[in-house]
Amino acid sequence: MDNITYIGEHIWWGKAGNFFIFLSFASALLAAFAYFRAASENELENGSWKKLGRICFRIHSLSVISIMATLFCMIFLHYYEYYYVWEHSNSVMPKRYTLACFWEGQEGSFLLWTFWQVVIGNILIRTAQKWESPVMATISLVQVFLASMLLGFYVFGWRLGSNPFILLRQTPEYANIPVFSIPDYVSKLDGRGLNPLLQNYWMTIHPPTLFLGFASTVVPFAYAIAGLWKKEYGGWQLDALPWTFFGIMILGTGILMGGAWAYEALSFGGFWGWDPVENASLIPWLTYVGAGHVMIIYKARKNSLFSTFAFPIITFILVLYSTFLTRSGILGNTSVHAFTDLGMSGQLLIYLLFFIALSVVLLLVNWRKMPKVKEEEDLWSREFWMFLGSLVLLMSCLQIIITTSIPVTNKLFNLNQAPPLDMKGYYNKWQIPFAIIILLLVAIGLYFKFKKTDMKQFWQQIRIPVVVSVLLGAISGWVLRERNGFYIGLLSVAWLAVCANFYYWVKNKKSNFLKAGASFAHVGFGFIIMGALISTSQKQVISVNTSGKSVESLGKDYSNATNILLTQGDTLRMGNYFVTYLGKEQIGVNIFYSVEYMSKNEQTNKYTHEFTLHPIVQLNQQMGNVAEPSTKHFLTEDIYTHITFSDLQNLQDENPGSEFTAPKSQMLSVGDTMFSSNSIIVLTALDTKIDKIQYHLKANDIAVGAILKVIDVNDKVYTAEPVYVISNDVVQSVDVGLKPLGLKFSFRKVNPDTKKVEIAVSESKHTAKDFIVMEAVVFPYINILWMGCLIMVLGTTLAIRQRIIKSREAKNASSAQ
Amino acid sequence: MKKTYIIAIIVIAIAFGVILASLSNNSTYASFKEASAHENSTFHVVGKLDRAKPFLYDPHINPNLFTFYLIDKDGTERKVTLGRPKPDDFEHSDQIVVIGKAQGTDEFAANDVLMKCPSKYNDGTPTEKKSSSL
Repeated sequence: MDNITYIGEHIWWGKAGNFFIFLSFASALLAAFAYFRAASENELENGSWKKLGRICFRIHSLSVISIMATLFCMIFLHYYEYYYVWEHSNSVMPKRYTLACFWEGQEGSFLLWTFWQVVIGNILIRTAQKWESPVMATISLVQVFLASMLLGFYVFGWRLGSNPFILLRQTPEYANIPVFSIPDYVSKLDGRGLNPLLQNYWMTIHPPTLFLGFASTVVPFAYAIAGLWKKEYGGWQLDALPWTFFGIMILGTGILMGGAWAYEALSFGGFWGWDPVENASLIPWLTYVGAGHVMIIYKARKNSLFSTFAFPIITFILVLYSTFLTRSGILGNTSVHAFTDLGMSGQLLIYLLFFIALSVVLLLVNWRKMPKVKEEEDLWSREFWMFLGSLVLLMSCLQIIITTSIPVTNKLFNLNQAPPLDMKGYYNKWQIPFAIIILLLVAIGLYFKFKKTDMKQFWQQIRIPVVVSVLLGAISGWVLRERNGFYIGLLSVAWLAVCANFYYWVKNKKSNFLKAGASFAHVGFGFIIMGALISTSQKQVISVNTSGKSVESLGKDYSNATNILLTQGDTLRMGNYFVTYLGKEQIGVNIFYSVEYMSKNEQTNKYTHEFTLHPIVQLNQQMGNVAEPSTKHFLTEDIYTHITFSDLQNLQDENPGSEFTAPKSQMLSVGDTMFSSNSIIVLTALDTKIDKIQYHLKANDIAVGAILKVIDVNDKVYTAEPVYVISNDVVQSVDVGLKPLGLKFSFRKVNPDTKKVEIAVSESKHTAKDFIVMEAVVFPYINILWMGCLIMVLGTTLAIRQRIIKSREAKNASSAQ
Repeated sequence: MKKTYIIAIIVIAIAFGVILASLSNNSTYASFKEASAHENSTFHVVGKLDRAKPFLYDPHINPNLFTFYLIDKDGTERKVTLGRPKPDDFEHSDQIVVIGKAQGTDEFAANDVLMKCPSKYNDGTPTEKKSSSL
């Protein structure tokens, strides 16, 4: 196909994109080198290297922005001759999802990550002062690795990175398809489109937030490496602290947005499913929180110095590990929504191992040289309990890593372990003890003073919140009709975290809003755990069979029979509601179902309309249909409704006017099998001894019956015998119906040569009444969880503000001296 | 002894406990034959759909029962009953993992099914535009 001159390809766009990719890689490499030299030499001589480093990083920044602009325009202008554009967008999709298309693929999301690091790097160039060179050297090095993910070069037969500017006709999978024999194929192409699951506003805001969180972990990491490298073990923590808390806040928001997305728009049936991809984002957050806290300890008491290096390093490495998990394809069968392998797993692994090796070597070299604090921390000091909390976070993180990494350990050690059967139950069982310890530490932490606490005062102060929270625990247990003592205890602990921190703020910070940081963040955390606890453990599936209709010979007892059939117009009781399926309507690719919830007056037997939900099934021929739930939010509970099955065939009636669908026919020999949608049909024998009187046939008519054994879903066996008749050279079939299964059989043909007969089966449209199979779940008090998220974000933001002010004050004080 | 050492020992002990307990979680991937040999244990079975056999689902009889046939990696075919509605797009999935228990040697009762649809992520050949969108 080389001799074809293609018309209409926008070749220069791709060339420009590739130029910028190369430029971004080269300039990052040069920036890393220049900053490395600047940091290695003494302060007087490093001026010119530093200048070069800055120039290179600026060029790198511009080229990253240019790559993004190029790719964005190509998607926006529908240049489907490019693989990335074709793969992730199409013409019918609304323009507002252009950004979502941009980062749907691995290349785009790497770009997003690179972009945030560019932004962070430029801020650091302005603010990092004496730490600029060593910190920027590390950041530039990370940028080199990220930029290489886009190169798409072959080095010794090994592809480095995956290039987003490759043409569709150059990809091995699609190079030989017939479209490319037309010179102006470009005008005929349409894209494959964005996965319908991802066509919502969450996809526009969730990835940038999450990737900003991931990108921010490079700052404390780079500071820690700089501290080890320059052997200045203390001091950097003060500069890194605001960044760390900023990162904790952003990454936390990103994770919770993912949860909110899953809850609102995806049919997981909850906000957290412990899916490996979700876990991969949670793992670094836990150690990130630990990092923030050990830095505070160091700042106050010069204790835990080693941990201030270890935690940020672990966090950054876990971000790389998470990237490896979700993008290498290794999760395979255990996750529904990991990225597919782009053949970059080797490259990702090398990066991961490189940064592990670098950090471990630096830590080992410096371990002995770090100044040790002679005096041991007091048992009743804030730093002791804060440090303990950070260790518990690390433990909790370790458990999640081990279980999520089962596919990795399987590959490494050639094992055959499967992930836990009941994933949610398994993780909850493990994480609840950790959560209890963390909640307790969060509750009491602030009441301890750094260095030494007056325990008398401690007990005096904490007494009030303890009493209040035990009371609140008991009250909430009573409201929820919960009798389980362990569970009420758990609720009380969550209340304690909330009350103790709130009381501390009122009492010790005199309700000063600007000093609420730590208290509010902890209150929010307490509410998050409380909301998660209540809404998961008290969640109630209301779509269970209450109709009293005999469900024919179910035979098997499934505990999770949580779906119910609702025929159009019928009303069934679900929980406190009476639910009716009103009908469906197709608008574009979406089918909207109307499900009405009513209440019933027991005296008058009259129904009153409460609300109507509109769950959606989105039709997508390329990627499969997607169900989107619809949820009614009340202050104290949510009612979640989701279509688990619906008959989409009646959207286009193939055989209008008839009671049956268009017949499907098949040639069968004796013993052969055919299928209808609800049964298996076996031709057991041909019956030549037809009772001619019964069928009103003449003596010289020829008649053959086909004896069919019909087996339904529950293994119940029926027989049917359609008859083939030749009467006066006219062929006809005496059809038989099978009422219980709504089937009709005709015997259409006999082929004497092959000894095969043609049997046709048509199915009753017992869907004259349309139906849906749906699931309805009540999540009580889930609003506590969302409220907790907001309070935690607010608290962390206030804490960052406070940290920045304090670090400025400290700098001013030291420069004034 | 220093408190930090005591904490370190406790932490290491817990870490070991966590690792050992996590590794001994009792589920493994298996074939249908192995699953039939241990009827009371739950297994993950990876396999391919038998497309020549039917997918049976009649919500009017039971909305929580879906039956299909799966061929595991050893080539054993088994009827699988899933206690749930037929998942969307079931037909298009390539590899399927069923999680559940064997019921004798001819049936496997699954509580859950994981589908990996190649189509969802990287299938679909370039198509020509529909005339309406030209």
